[in-house]
Amino acid sequence: MDSWGLLTSCWRLDPLAVAVCAAAAIAYAAPGRRSGVRPLPFAMALLIFVLALVSPIGQLADGYLFSAHMLQHLLLVLVVPPLALLGVAPALRARAPGRVGRMLLRPIVAWGLGVGAMWLWHEQTLCNAASQSAVVHRVQELSLLVMGTAFWWPVLAPREESRLPPLSGVVYLFTACVACTLLGVLITFSPVEVCSVFAHPVDRLGVMPLVRDGWGLTVEKDQQVGGLLMWVPACLVYGVGILGVLARLFHEHPAAAESKGVPS
Amino acid sequence: MSTATSPLAEEHHPAHEADGPFAWVATVDHKRIGILYLVTALFFFCVGGIEALIIRLQLARPNGTLVSAETFNQLFTMHGTTMIFLVVMPTLVGFGNYLVPLMIGARDMAFPRLNAMSYWLLPFGGCLLHFSVMAGGAPAAGWFAYAPLTETPFSSTQGTDYWVLALLVLGVGSVATAINFIATILTLRAPGMTMGRVPLFVWMTFVTSFLVILALPILNASIVLLLVDRQLDAHVFLASGGGNAILWQHFFWTFGHPEVYIMALPAFGMISEIIPVFSRKPIFGYEFVAASTVAIAILSFGVWAHHMFAVGLGHTADIFFAGGSMLIAIPTGVKIFNWIATMWGGSIRFTTAMLFATAFLVEFVIGGLSGITFAAAPIDWQVTDTYYVVAHFHYVIFGGTAFATLGGIYYWFPKMSGRRLDERLGKANFWLMVLGFNTTFFVQHILGILGMPRRVFTYPDLPYWGVLNMVSTVGACLMGLASLVLVANIVFSLKRGKLAGDNPWDGWTLEWATTSPPPHDNFAEVPQIHGRRPLWDLAHGKDPSDSQATKPKPERTFDKGAVAVWSFIASETGFFLILIIAYLFFNVGAGADAPGPSAAMLDVKKTGAFTACLFASSFTLWLSEKSLHKKEHAAAARWLFATIALGAVFLVGQGSEYLGLFHRGVGVATNLFTTTFFTLTGFHGLHVTAGLFALMIALGLLLAGDFRRRSSTFLRTIGLYWHFVDVVWQVVFSIVYLRIR
Repeated sequence: MDSWGLLTSCWRLDPLAVAVCAAAAIAYAAPGRRSGVRPLPFAMALLIFVLALVSPIGQLADGYLFSAHMLQHLLLVLVVPPLALLGVAPALRARAPGRVGRMLLRPIVAWGLGVGAMWLWHEQTLCNAASQSAVVHRVQELSLLVMGTAFWWPVLAPREESRLPPLSGVVYLFTACVACTLLGVLITFSPVEVCSVFAHPVDRLGVMPLVRDGWGLTVEKDQQVGGLLMWVPACLVYGVGILGVLARLFHEHPAAAESKGVPS
Repeated sequence: MSTATSPLAEEHHPAHEADGPFAWVATVDHKRIGILYLVTALFFFCVGGIEALIIRLQLARPNGTLVSAETFNQLFTMHGTTMIFLVVMPTLVGFGNYLVPLMIGARDMAFPRLNAMSYWLLPFGGCLLHFSVMAGGAPAAGWFAYAPLTETPFSSTQGTDYWVLALLVLGVGSVATAINFIATILTLRAPGMTMGRVPLFVWMTFVTSFLVILALPILNASIVLLLVDRQLDAHVFLASGGGNAILWQHFFWTFGHPEVYIMALPAFGMISEIIPVFSRKPIFGYEFVAASTVAIAILSFGVWAHHMFAVGLGHTADIFFAGGSMLIAIPTGVKIFNWIATMWGGSIRFTTAMLFATAFLVEFVIGGLSGITFAAAPIDWQVTDTYYVVAHFHYVIFGGTAFATLGGIYYWFPKMSGRRLDERLGKANFWLMVLGFNTTFFVQHILGILGMPRRVFTYPDLPYWGVLNMVSTVGACLMGLASLVLVANIVFSLKRGKLAGDNPWDGWTLEWATTSPPPHDNFAEVPQIHGRRPLWDLAHGKDPSDSQATKPKPERTFDKGAVAVWSFIASETGFFLILIIAYLFFNVGAGADAPGPSAAMLDVKKTGAFTACLFASSFTLWLSEKSLHKKEHAAAARWLFATIALGAVFLVGQGSEYLGLFHRGVGVATNLFTTTFFTLTGFHGLHVTAGLFALMIALGLLLAGDFRRRSSTFLRTIGLYWHFVDVVWQVVFSIVYLRIR
């Protein structure tokens, strides 16, 4: 199999994921809820969600490549939830979260959940279990989405008053970025395997020759790529978040209407 | 027009500054401290400049014999260290000190005495560094002090030890100043001066301060480990004892790359002030200039490995870091375009300050472009450690920062002294500097590509090498001449310069609203701020009452003590993080099974009991704070006493553990476990000790009834620190004793 073949053939229909997406899309498009929603980010969230599970990324993440797993992991925590929140935020403005919700969404808890999503699932036993048991894998996907949503809530909450003030928001995101970077550094330079499953994949699809010889992704390199994905691109996502928060700061505290005139 | 008096730092601000022989030594006034910083930096600029000239004279001809190889090594090490830590950083801090309180309408920095301490650490550090010359030889291992060259077997004089001590002292001063800036900018802004309105120089200083509190502790922790290696015969960075020299490079560049922006961002701030005023236009895209600074700051922590392409981290890592590093060009480019767009269509006045700002744009773009070429790993492999690198970073630091600073000197000198610098001498200074600078460093690009390595004391007579080096040396002499013109201009203008008046350049920011030089308290009254250009608003009679629309949401107010302690905690986190990483690096995985003492010999149960004591002390301290809040002073004192007792029990416990280990013949240098164990727990113990002293002071104040007379946040801020020390220990305990990983 060559790379193109892998890209085109290694798709797996994941009925549950597709069903979830369809339900979300129908609920989103249902009449009466349409005031001020932002369909573009929401559609992107759904698309990326499906791609992360159904496309070759999902296939390779399933016991083949640690790096593919990491990509899936990051998409589910750092990309899908914020896009979805952006998409539904205006529609949810009227509803306040319940008591449990408020507890989960307190910034310090949410921060812990967001950072925990990174660290927890890379604990060796959990990481291996998620790649070996379909049930654990489902739990992992679901928990990543939930933890990701909780993490982004204080930044992107529908109601302005439940958002962190901008400068605190910057600190919130930056510290999360540092925590994430630390794990990335650890994984990149760690001589031991983070998830031993990926060292000996069961080649159901017959792609291992391509991956190992064609792409030159040895077990060590694979883990390095995974660590680096968490280190560099993940931090960029937090960075984009920080820029968004700063945009809000300048929006809330604008300068007085600037006059273009030249003072004499 | 309504005005509001500024409710600022009055409580710690002495009403009058004494004049007399010791007035400058004893001063806590931010303006005098700022000037002290600038004068000290100018002095060290001359020292570092003379070192550079000797280097250039030695290299003027092939097979030069002016200085020996050993002296040459000392010269370039001292030149680099001096220029970075004793010239560029103090200059930027000096401008920040002088300008930030004025620009935000404050009477002084948040902590004037801390500010004075920060300054006096600068001459102390400078003296320590230069004392090495008398103590057997200056450091000679380059400013980034790569291990193992800096280790005792290869650097046997005490130069490196003095280098470490000097940098520690300077690092402490820098962190203290940064905390001061953060607290000042967050808590002392004039009414209406929101974070969306502060001058960009203040924004840049604010962001830089965060870089300082996060990056400098990393350096401090690394050089402490180096000092442990050198003084206590440990082997953290020495392969012969199981250590790892690459670890030094990682640690150093984790600090070193943000350091580049610590040296560049405040200069960007100066440019963002100078260009609009002399283009007679408001800055184009204020928000973009401010936000791109934050983006640069964040990226700067993620890309240090691009200094290590030649080390052999592997292609995978190289690709990511090449990509990440190239990204920095985006926010930097955004700034360049903003500055150009500000000039576009403006009625530009080419004063000396503006000339330097314009030259900055050109030189900095050249330095930035050669920087992007380094981000491509294969190019880096070709030209790393050649004169191409020397050319690149001099275009960034001299062409960028120094040109901006020179512009800043010409721009703000009238405010500081009351007199303008002479424009004719200024133009001479400018043209000599531009000519000299480009002559010196542009040809070094070519030399680097031809393959001339940096840091060699001489070179053979290869084609073009001699003539290009001679050109470079002639340029350096021109720069020396330009510097003399600057010094002459300053001396001359201080005596006979044209009187400046309050606002010689028609500036718009608050520092121009007061007299030149400003009175001791800066402002008689601070106007209500309605926009980014308060003086323009004043001149055009904007009345606040008719512009409800521009009234921003009230901003959160911060307590300056809490801000300072949280910033301090952030910096301490970085310090402990490095010590913890060093511990993990040598005690987990491959190195863990080495023979000799290991974590297995620690007494977990006994230390667990002492850990519980420390944990409980956080709880008793919390009870004390609660009692104090309820005005139950006796109860507060009792709980505080209990806290101190529990902390002391913890220290005794740690001491007994140490004694037990020493008794079994286990010392700091026994192996890498003991080295990392003792540095980590030892530094934690030092922090507990410092916390105990602070708590005792709090207890003393409490018993003396001080808290009864005025409400104070002292106990709360000390409490934050104590809880932090406790949390650090819980982490250390789980990693070292419980071995959770």
